[in-house]
Amino acid sequence: MTNVLQHVLLVEDDPWLAELEADVLTQAGYEVTHAPHAPSAIAKIDEKQPDVIILDVLLTGSTAFALLHELQSYGDTKAVPIILCTNMADSLKLEDVKSYGVRRIVDKSTMQPDDLLAAIRSVLRRGIE
Amino acid sequence: MSGCYTENMKKSEGLGVGMGADGVTTHEVSSLTAAAHELKSPLALMRQLALRLDSGDVSDEQHRLIQQITLTSERALRLTSDLTRSARLEDALFELEPINPEQLCQDIATELAPLFEAHGRSLAVSHRTHPLLLVANRDLLRRIIMNFSDNALHYSQPGTAVHMQIQALTKAGTVRVGIRDFGPALSSDMWRALQKKLKHSPQAIHARPQSSGLGLYIAGQFAEAMQGTIGATRHHDGATFYVELQASRQLSLL
Repeated sequence: MTNVLQHVLLVEDDPWLAELEADVLTQAGYEVTHAPHAPSAIAKIDEKQPDVIILDVLLTGSTAFALLHELQSYGDTKAVPIILCTNMADSLKLEDVKSYGVRRIVDKSTMQPDDLLAAIRSVLRRGIE
Repeated sequence: MSGCYTENMKKSEGLGVGMGADGVTTHEVSSLTAAAHELKSPLALMRQLALRLDSGDVSDEQHRLIQQITLTSERALRLTSDLTRSARLEDALFELEPINPEQLCQDIATELAPLFEAHGRSLAVSHRTHPLLLVANRDLLRRIIMNFSDNALHYSQPGTAVHMQIQALTKAGTVRVGIRDFGPALSSDMWRALQKKLKHSPQAIHARPQSSGLGLYIAGQFAEAMQGTIGATRHHDGATFYVELQASRQLSLL
């Protein structure tokens, strides 16, 4: 029996940081797709729906919130858990963004290499609240 | 789903998409905040790269240098966070609560211990037999103390310990949290410049060329937001930077 890898969509406009994060996730056994901006993320989701989305807040040309709003508009993407990975963590409250499918906020400026993994495992274990 | 992203994005931006979203997408941010945020991303990346390097097979010397990069990035990230927070002080409401400053100082000392150790210095909290409580916003007070500690780190002599001291100023009904460093004495000129700096916007002072005064300015803004003040005391062998805040009335319950 073949194990199906869980699919992580990484929406991050910094290519070096995206490479670092993707590397950690791939080594941990996830299938990772990278999208550098929101329109690209939409296209990737259309190709293959992710099990979880890691989303930067300030993206080139837009913010994560336009994308979050978009994802909440469709039944098939509404249930995908989202982890915000951002430098703006200190100005965001999870309670304020939970209705957009956000399950965790990871502070990019203080996170340790395994923090993203822990957040992914946590949201996949818990599913949608 | 299908890709009608652009249309929906415009719609969502026009309507505003909730508290978090609205704050980010529609508020005008000051150039100061924007600059701070622009700096945050590359600094966070540098830190992540350093952490990644350190997870590999490195020599002791390489590990030491990587740790210095990590700690320096974290220090710069703290400053950019403070700058962002400072620019938003007027828009924000801060919850004030009774806080045990000694406990907070202990937590900060633990957090900063690797940074001080990497610079050959240490950080100690003077213990009080009878704890004091003050009224503050925990996050802002923490940032002020971090800021003073950072300042003390850079102007204290190697091998010395920086002391965190808490004292009650009974006449004024306030509590003072001071960070005492042991380094070269401040000259009279420098002292006058420092006093000016504590009261006004950031200015460089000649005797401390590495200092723009930005950190002190931000600390002053944070203290003011909590109806407190910051100040400095000159010693023959260093200086104490302090913040004074209202004592908590819950003090009598201890």
